[in-house]
Amino acid sequence: MWRDALLVAGKDLRIELRSRVALWQVLPVAVLSLVLYAFALGPVRQTLASAAPGLFWLAVLFSTVLATQRSFAIEAGEGTRDGLRVSGIDPAGVFLGKAAAVAAELAVLQIVLWAAMTLLFGVHLHTVWLALVASFLATIGLASAGTLYGALSAGLRVRETLLPLLVLPVLAPVLLAASRAWSGALTGSVSSGLSWLRVLGPFAVVYLVIGIVLYGPLLETA
Amino acid sequence: MSYVDAGYAVGLSVLVLYAIGLVVRRRSLERAVELSLPPSDSADGAAETGGASGP
Amino acid sequence: MSVRPEIPSAAAPRPRWLRIVGVAAVVSTAATVWLGLWVTPPDKIQGNLVRLVYLHPPIAWVALYLAFGLAALSSLLYLWRRTRSLFWDRLAAASVEVGVVFNALTLATGMLWGRPTWGVWWTWDARLTSTALLLVLFVGYLALRRVPADPEVRARRCAVAALIAFVDVPIVHFSVIWWQTLHQGATVLNSNLSPTIHGSMAWTLLLGFIALTLVFVWMVGVRYRIEVLADRTDAEHLEVSLAERWAEGDLDIAAIAAIAATNASNGGTGASLRPPTRVGP
Repeated sequence: MWRDALLVAGKDLRIELRSRVALWQVLPVAVLSLVLYAFALGPVRQTLASAAPGLFWLAVLFSTVLATQRSFAIEAGEGTRDGLRVSGIDPAGVFLGKAAAVAAELAVLQIVLWAAMTLLFGVHLHTVWLALVASFLATIGLASAGTLYGALSAGLRVRETLLPLLVLPVLAPVLLAASRAWSGALTGSVSSGLSWLRVLGPFAVVYLVIGIVLYGPLLETA
Repeated sequence: MSYVDAGYAVGLSVLVLYAIGLVVRRRSLERAVELSLPPSDSADGAAETGGASGP
Repeated sequence: MSVRPEIPSAAAPRPRWLRIVGVAAVVSTAATVWLGLWVTPPDKIQGNLVRLVYLHPPIAWVALYLAFGLAALSSLLYLWRRTRSLFWDRLAAASVEVGVVFNALTLATGMLWGRPTWGVWWTWDARLTSTALLLVLFVGYLALRRVPADPEVRARRCAVAALIAFVDVPIVHFSVIWWQTLHQGATVLNSNLSPTIHGSMAWTLLLGFIALTLVFVWMVGVRYRIEVLADRTDAEHLEVSLAERWAEGDLDIAAIAAIAATNASNGGTGASLRPPTRVGP
């Protein structure tokens, strides 16, 4: 399973490196959304600073939807998905690989967004390790759930409107916990941040395990 | 109208309305299925259960 | 006409137990309302507001645990190959729709109780938020269900969606314990396991749970039958259209495509596009 995962992850990432869609489309949209939030909330520094962690994770959330849609769009060609299925690759491995690729893209995205946020909203991370752990756990949760729902809605003509409706509520708890954790990391209140890590952890594990278990049954031929 | 009355009213009326909706939907579907059954199928129908006779 | 093993004959009569459950549901609900509104005493602290306890917690219990729990269990049984059958898928779909209705009612009755008690219609505390999220999650399930697809494919998709949505339910229950919240602690299932409600109020509450459970069972029973009939009529439409075209002798590729497209937009099935065998070429 792990070898298959590496195979698939490598394939997805190589496609991304060659096409650079995430780099030129998803990333700019994410940064743009931070700018738009500032337009929406007004230029008062206080407001933006207190809203910063939530806005950061909102941007990451929407980027997750885009990234997973992209992850499945690259296989939308004739028979590509069937080819993957009959090639004998363990479906759990496919899931892990695709989720890992999405997670990698999200990680890069978060670094850029953090820089943008520091610049645009004037906030500084007080407790960096807390933010890093929160990001790590949240990214696993986001990538896992996103990949599973991406597979679920792949091939549907209404995919663009249905995928957000399906996956955003599932990602909402991660948004909540990650925002609170980063809020703690920004202000230095470690204890409250830690309690939110206790929420992020189980979500990461649960979504990852569910993805591994259900990806195969989801994709198998009738 | 007190909050208690409103609560009971909302709860009961929604349940009743939804229940009515279910019954109506069921009846119209049963009628549609009955209508679409061609005569040659009555052999299958009789063999299975002997016609709609439910409550 | 081809026989489809998974769709029972529409000539099957409605099950008798369903009508009995329906009658019992009406009787017990009426009794609960009568007891709750008139017979039981008002609370020392909450006054008459406490009467909503005979309605709101039972509705919540049905929605969160019965309905969505059944949906998740059925979804699991559908996905597990040894028990795979469209019966579980249809049961899950029926359960989710009824569950969504009850979930919305949970929020509505909760708000009507909360406004006079806490002074606000809504607050973003853990329990309310989780319950609202649950509603959105399962509305998503219903939206997914409406997308036309082969029944088995649709069943698989919806089963996965239901299972993930269900993960939210334990969070709702434990949220009261985990986080500081405005919502009162569990009345019966609190950590001491000693109920804080007594006497006629306790009995009426118990009756309320039973009554709403019976209502739920009846509703799922009817909704399940609707699901079966709907799938059957979809299959009927496609078969009849095709049989008519073949009989007319002018069936061609364009017509097949047109029929398939219409039926896909009406909620298509996996019906075969080959002609019925008794109609000659």
